[in-house]
Amino acid sequence: MERFLATMLQTVQDYNSQPPPLISDNGSIWHHMSDALHQSVYRVLSLLIAVLPGILAVFVALTLFTLIGMALSTILRKGFTFLKFDERLNRGNSEWTPSSSPTALIARAAFWGCVLLGLIIGVSAFDVSYATGAPLPVSMLPYLTHFVGAVLLLIAGTLIARFLARSVLIGAVNAQLQYARFLSLGVKWLVLVLTAAMVLDHLQVGGNVVELAFGILFGGIVLTLSLAIGLGSRDLVSRSLEGRVDRSTDKTHPPQTETVPASEERHESIRHF
Amino acid sequence: MATTNSVPNAHLADAPAKAGMLVFVAPMAAESLANILATLTSLFPDESLLVATPNDTSGTTYPGLRVITTQATNAVWPLTAADFAHASNAAKENGARGVMMLGPGADSLSTAALRGLANVVSDSTFDLALPHYALPPNAGLVNSAILYPLNRALFGSRARFPLSIDLAFSPRMAERLAGIAQRFVNSNQSDAIIWPVSEAAVAGLSVDEIEVGTRVLPQPAEPNINAILTLVTGSLFADIEAKAAFWQRPRRLPPEPRNFGAIHGIEGEVDVAPMVEAFRLAFSNLQEIWSLVLAPNSLLGLKRLSVVDPSAFRMAENLWARIVFDFLVAWRLRTLNRGHLLGALIPLYLAWVAGHLNVVKSGTSSETHVEAVAAAFESDKQYIVSRWRWPDRFNS
Repeated sequence: MERFLATMLQTVQDYNSQPPPLISDNGSIWHHMSDALHQSVYRVLSLLIAVLPGILAVFVALTLFTLIGMALSTILRKGFTFLKFDERLNRGNSEWTPSSSPTALIARAAFWGCVLLGLIIGVSAFDVSYATGAPLPVSMLPYLTHFVGAVLLLIAGTLIARFLARSVLIGAVNAQLQYARFLSLGVKWLVLVLTAAMVLDHLQVGGNVVELAFGILFGGIVLTLSLAIGLGSRDLVSRSLEGRVDRSTDKTHPPQTETVPASEERHESIRHF
Repeated sequence: MATTNSVPNAHLADAPAKAGMLVFVAPMAAESLANILATLTSLFPDESLLVATPNDTSGTTYPGLRVITTQATNAVWPLTAADFAHASNAAKENGARGVMMLGPGADSLSTAALRGLANVVSDSTFDLALPHYALPPNAGLVNSAILYPLNRALFGSRARFPLSIDLAFSPRMAERLAGIAQRFVNSNQSDAIIWPVSEAAVAGLSVDEIEVGTRVLPQPAEPNINAILTLVTGSLFADIEAKAAFWQRPRRLPPEPRNFGAIHGIEGEVDVAPMVEAFRLAFSNLQEIWSLVLAPNSLLGLKRLSVVDPSAFRMAENLWARIVFDFLVAWRLRTLNRGHLLGALIPLYLAWVAGHLNVVKSGTSSETHVEAVAAAFESDKQYIVSRWRWPDRFNS
């Protein structure tokens, strides 16, 4: 053992005493680089070979289920048209208001249901094949699902924002509010900001910064709307309050004659039915 | 084929009343009901008359009248599917020769009007008899602007009040209406609106109008024009959509209308400025929505209209016809949510009302203007047929 240690120390001393060669062997460098590259290419190719069946599975599953969805959608559409499903449903429920006919909605839902099923099956297959051959599945795949969820949130939020904005705009215009467009825009941006915050939160981007920014923006929009509506409706509110005060006074001192405002009288002189 | 007819039949009102008829009386105050029953007793002295009503008639007897109680309905305006179902079923069960339905406030109808309605049907002359009310120009405006012109253009009917709340019909018509109404009732839509004129047109049954003079018209329980216009117009659009195969076929225009009495003066003073302002506000805010529905020519027409002074404000008949047709097509295509669509129609309707009142103020008869509007709908029928079939040909 002592002899072995002595040999080791001697070797180290010899190595330290001799200066290193200034120019090493070129063939050795290229050999090392080549080895490194080969190993890298090998690793990447191994990864691709491990992942490729998964990617292929995703495409095959998606294509297959899209075709099934198209066929199912066509069959449903033709079947419901043959059965006059829309007419029957409209007779039963005349307040059906979505922007597509019931038949179209069912056919579309069936198609997209199949596509979604294909996507889930494909991603599951991808998960199985990828997990065996790569070191990154744990971080990559959940993020993918989060991304899909975020996209769905974004679509839903945008649709809801548009619907609410139109509802508010039409309602406000018919109520003859001068700030109808402003109100509609406010509601739209409230929903869009909420959606954006939810999407970023879902993607786990930004952390506390997003929450803080959302709180400031949302609160700012609400405050702006409140101020705008409050200031815009000042006359309306004061008239309403005056009316209440007048009515309470009238109860104690009933007038001799009841007067109707001219505008109210004019309004009542039109009978739509 | 529909044989909508308007052959003068004033003699029917003078002839002695016949019976064997079922009279359905809608829910109303006890005093009004008593008045109607007394009138019916005096009208049909020699015949047994069957009265079906959801009102409570216990404790009072009327000679010659047999009263049966039907199920009460929630709606007070207009007649509902449940009312039609109850009346038609009662008529079938009792073998009535005809059915007369009287809506709320029918006690204000004259004896001659009731007799006229009953005789048209009991004489088997026509399958459906509708009243022609004498209304002032500032009343029944939704009917004048939308219901009458659309029914006339698409179903070839000159019935001035397609959504009348009093009517009489034959057993054949009762059978058809019972079928339609029962489907609504079975699907829990008892308050749905039934459109007898279009049903008669599709079934090839004959229709006649009876001049009934003035009548106290009940107003909707919910005074909000937005809700009511949406309800009535939505129901009519749905009915038109369901009968598209029928009205797209070319058909002969109905004969010239008879001259019915009308009230010429506007009750009270009407200021059109708020309605014009409402239209202008909508024009500056709803263009994005209107551009999804209306053709460019119509939008241009509205743009010109938005700068017109309220005193000279008048919507051209063909522009209004195009607007209604475009909204009808958008309803069918579901271009946007149907609630939004009908909400966006309201300011345009108010603009039409403002124009109509200005026309009447200028000395033109209200009926003349309404007939001109209906004629514009008729002459533009090809437009709605084309757009219905090929909705993408938009920029014509």
